[in-house]
Amino acid sequence: MRIEIIHEIASSLRNNKLRTALTGFAVSWGIFLLIALLGAGNGLMNSFMGNMQEYISESVTVEGWRTSMPYAGYKEGRDIQLDQTDLDYTQAPRWQGTIENVSLATAFTSATLSLNGLSVAGSLRGVMPEYQQQEKIRMAAGRFLNPDDVRENRKSIVVSSAQAKELLPKNPEKLVGQWINTGSVAFRVVGIYSTDESNMTRLCPIPYSTYKGIYDPSDKVEAISFTVNGPNTLEEHRAFEKNYTAGIKARHHIAPDDNRGLWVNNGYTENLQMHKASRMIRTALWILGILTLVSGIVGVSNIMLITVKERTHEFGIRKAIGAKPGAILKLIIAESISITAVFGYIGMFMGMVACQIMDKTVAQDVVNIGGEEIRMLVNPNVGLDVALEATLLLIVAGTLAGAIPAWKAARVKPIEALRAE
Amino acid sequence: MALIELKELNKTYNNGQPLHVLKGIDLSIERGEFVSIMGASGSGKSTLLNILGILDNYDTGTYTLDGKLIKDLTERQSADYRNRMIGFIFQSFNLISFKTAVENVELPLYYQGVPRRRRRELAMEYLDKLGLTPWATHFPNEMSGGQKQRVAIARALITHPQIILADEPTGALDSKTSVEVMQLLKQLNQEEGITIIVVTHESGVANETDKIIHIKDGIIGQIEENIHHDAWGGPLMK
Repeated sequence: MRIEIIHEIASSLRNNKLRTALTGFAVSWGIFLLIALLGAGNGLMNSFMGNMQEYISESVTVEGWRTSMPYAGYKEGRDIQLDQTDLDYTQAPRWQGTIENVSLATAFTSATLSLNGLSVAGSLRGVMPEYQQQEKIRMAAGRFLNPDDVRENRKSIVVSSAQAKELLPKNPEKLVGQWINTGSVAFRVVGIYSTDESNMTRLCPIPYSTYKGIYDPSDKVEAISFTVNGPNTLEEHRAFEKNYTAGIKARHHIAPDDNRGLWVNNGYTENLQMHKASRMIRTALWILGILTLVSGIVGVSNIMLITVKERTHEFGIRKAIGAKPGAILKLIIAESISITAVFGYIGMFMGMVACQIMDKTVAQDVVNIGGEEIRMLVNPNVGLDVALEATLLLIVAGTLAGAIPAWKAARVKPIEALRAE
Repeated sequence: MALIELKELNKTYNNGQPLHVLKGIDLSIERGEFVSIMGASGSGKSTLLNILGILDNYDTGTYTLDGKLIKDLTERQSADYRNRMIGFIFQSFNLISFKTAVENVELPLYYQGVPRRRRRELAMEYLDKLGLTPWATHFPNEMSGGQKQRVAIARALITHPQIILADEPTGALDSKTSVEVMQLLKQLNQEEGITIIVVTHESGVANETDKIIHIKDGIIGQIEENIHHDAWGGPLMK
């Protein structure tokens, strides 16, 4: 009986080519749009996430800012300067196990870097080795500052590849190990960081201790950075941040709800928010895709309804010569399934091809935004699992779409069906 | 016991205004009979045939076919009875237009679950019997009315039914073809012993059968034995 029904369907589809083609087109188009849309969406998301992850590090940085509210007898608009006490607070036993890898950074000092008569502008900043991780600095040559540089107050400096090119145009990498002049003090270049993805091309990290010794012997602290251990969710991270900053705010007489007294760059919450945003975009894409799919399903059920009406007389004949209601039901549903399956597969295939075409064309285009080179689409593809799931969903929906008219057809009395024209 | 037994059969259509179509039909038809039911349009003859063919149900009374009471059957059961016991011949042939002659003929066997190859064999055999072998792969719209009706007859015969119900079998045919079709039915009745019931409003067609049951306003009137019609040998009257 199984093979029989396939022959029945094949002949019925073959003999109703236009109807088959129209139904099939509705199905293929729906699944094609879904796959292409999801593919493009994924490409966009990959590009977005990829670009953002270049900058967002898993760390928290706190700096003093300017208050925006009067508090405890102080006026608003007061500049906040962090100092040693804030560092002590951060390293207090209270935060042990939660706050780790504490590092400091100084303010910036402008300097002119020069070597053999060539010079370039630079902005010196005293930092600790952890800074590389926090700012996601990638080395092009040499190394970043290490603990020894800080401990021994070495006059080490890391320059950008752009600066290296200015100072040693012919062979920038050879700059590593050379002494360069920064006005009053000479520094030895220990590494060159690559500048392709970053616009901080003038930053020149030097050891924190060296900077403090030369440019700022006070106990002022410009930026405190650390990693956080423990909180997982966005809410937990926010709670931690509030909890932690409350101590510093109290010390500096900043209103607890003043968000401008301290500048807090929380990479954890940013990351989580970004993931949340990306999830929302993904959900939106799926909703759009599913709506597209629904229009395909509506198309199928519409055509199935018309088909069943058109074929009522034929079903009447079949019933008169002994077709049971179940046989009619099976015939229509099986037809519906085979149409959606075959054309759904074609649509899926075409959608994947469209994704490949996007990958080979649009995804190769590089857009220059504010000195950064960005690919609008990165790897615009839909996983085979998702594609198969979507096709399966369409087949199930197609079955349901066929089931209602099929059920109607199966129930109509043979004598009425025979009278229908 | 008679093959077909109708007792006090009543049927009313309720399409807006109730229409009492069959008003207490009592009828029995024996195995092997060649009967015609004759009446004017609106007399209830088609309704009677539909009830006999289990295509329609009735309100009160009883209908017994081959000893089985045909009442309150599920659609599955009636489909099964139609498939195994009844062969239909319609005025408008009712062939499936996108199937070839042989595919149409084998369709009842498909619903019996007969394997494809066996089905095809039997269908070809019946087409051959009716002289239609050359048209086996033709579609209905490529055949003449007489050919189409013969395909329909082959389809009706293929399941070896107890009865063949023919609803105005010559209604769409010219007089020459009509004669051929009636001759064919007569031959099937005589040679194979199949019970045949023909519904018609044409006395010429009715006259070809052995028994003419007149129906008028939903009631059986005269039942006319017509056993000597062969002796007349006259052509069908149109």
